[in-house]
Amino acid sequence: MTAATQASQRAASGWLVLAFAGMAVLSLALATFLGVVDLPPSDVIAALAGHGSSEARSIILDIRLPRVVTGILAGIHFAVAGLLLQTITRNPLADPSLMGISQGAMLAVSGFLVFTVYVHDPGSNTLQALPLGWLPVIGTIGGMLAGGFIYAIAFRRDLGPLRITLCGIAVGAVLHAIGIGMIAGWGSARIEVLLEWFSGSLYARNWQHVVFLLPFTVAGLAILPLVRRPLALLRFEATVARSFGLSYRRQFSLALLIACVLAASAVGVVGPVVFVGLIVPHLARFIAGRRFDLVLPLTIALGAISVTLGDLVGRLLGQAEEIPIGVITAVCGVPVLVALLRRTA
Amino acid sequence: MLSCSGLSVSYGRRKALSDFSLSLAPGEIRALIGPNGSGKSTALQALAGLIRPAAGSAAIGDRAVASMSRREIARHLAFLPQQPVAPDEMTVEQLVRQGRFSHVGLFRSYGPRDDEAIRWALESTGLADFADRGLRELSGGERQRAWISAALAQEARILLLDEPTSFLDIGYQIEVLDLVYRLSRERGVGIVMAIHDLNQAMSICDRISLLEKGRLVFDGQAQALAESGLIEKVFRVEGRFVQLSPESAPHFDVHLSRWRAVTA
Repeated sequence: MTAATQASQRAASGWLVLAFAGMAVLSLALATFLGVVDLPPSDVIAALAGHGSSEARSIILDIRLPRVVTGILAGIHFAVAGLLLQTITRNPLADPSLMGISQGAMLAVSGFLVFTVYVHDPGSNTLQALPLGWLPVIGTIGGMLAGGFIYAIAFRRDLGPLRITLCGIAVGAVLHAIGIGMIAGWGSARIEVLLEWFSGSLYARNWQHVVFLLPFTVAGLAILPLVRRPLALLRFEATVARSFGLSYRRQFSLALLIACVLAASAVGVVGPVVFVGLIVPHLARFIAGRRFDLVLPLTIALGAISVTLGDLVGRLLGQAEEIPIGVITAVCGVPVLVALLRRTA
Repeated sequence: MLSCSGLSVSYGRRKALSDFSLSLAPGEIRALIGPNGSGKSTALQALAGLIRPAAGSAAIGDRAVASMSRREIARHLAFLPQQPVAPDEMTVEQLVRQGRFSHVGLFRSYGPRDDEAIRWALESTGLADFADRGLRELSGGERQRAWISAALAQEARILLLDEPTSFLDIGYQIEVLDLVYRLSRERGVGIVMAIHDLNQAMSICDRISLLEKGRLVFDGQAQALAESGLIEKVFRVEGRFVQLSPESAPHFDVHLSRWRAVTA
């Protein structure tokens, strides 16, 4: 390969990343300007600039914008976590909900809701008593615990990618069963909150959720350059990677930890938005082709785009009774997955 | 520069290697032979520090392999396992580039030194024109050469090869053996190679190690091995060594039962 073609390839790659970053910004704008309440674009701009009616300002600044930003952050979390898990387990189907992280968060949340309400006021049916503000923290802790538990089981014997995947599936299934059982047995008064949360939703997400997620996003993305080269080597079997000079165990653990933190915090805030973690990395790899350097930036951009647009579609289609983002990603995700499989097979 | 003594490895109950010793000088080619399951791969992996021995130790120079980080080891020693698998969509150049990880580490960008090493590794294996091809598009022989090329890009003084010629046709087999010879003589690389073909082993090596059920039963030159009568015993075959020409290594001629029937 000559230096000239290398340079032109690099330029083309740069433009591609820029184009997708532009699309992410565009989807952010689209999601801010469109919504259930029809606001003329001039009102939206005025509200963003701090003028306009107080109603428009409250819709844009307190409802739409925090919701969209939460979605962008969560989308990035799910997508990057999926990419990391698929890479280190060398399993193209790996995804936060396959590895038990989502189920851990789900069990923690349902346990928390059932438990606290009974402790607060046995027999109460008032939904105001539900301590919703705690859900992100509880969900994150639950997801992290499940991830840590799976890691510990896999670590005791041998840190094989297949073993860790199987552990994740098994533990996830058990946690899911316990969570469902808990809801069926004691959750009747809380079932609406639980259902909404379980289907993955951005409804009523506010700036507090953004403030909760942002440190995880910043820390997770900041550490990624450190694992860039190890990630390339983790795609080989352990013997080969170690022969090339990789401290396999340490790098595997670090990548798994980053994936767990990103996935658990996102599940804690928006619930398990399925398929984003599974499909976005595949889509990014498909677009990047052999330019492996592009996979990570494209995953980040596509994660943000897919959740933002998915939520917008859910809001517009459902109008007042909006469709949760998790349902949209699942419904749209399957055709995309099938299309990708047909292209790559 | 590479040595080990009293090396023992167990997989659960089974002892895969017991009391194995070896020393390798710069520019020396050492062949490792033995029947299937005799511990050749285990010995190589223990030398490369990839499995923890139950007893004994391996050392590069005077430093114990167990005390070195993976990156340090990889700068001194390149190991090519049997039938390695690469991610599907990788190109030859991307695979070979991984061989530079031990030099560039996590942060340092690839410099002219690294590009030079990659170019040399590709040229030595005749793959310069294949650099941008996907590994999946290659034939078995070309893929094996790509892996050897990645090991070469490490620019290590020690090279461990686990059956590098298996599954190659005779043309590629000889190509690999010639490359091994050039590396040892021109660059002073010390090479330990597990290999199944006895005659290739004896003609390429400076010294030879014979393993039987995890035990080292011979360590010396090919001529002495031919005279020891160990080959027939360890491999459970009948045959004899013949000298095809004065300067060539002894050649083992196996007796097949169909020929015995004819001569009897």
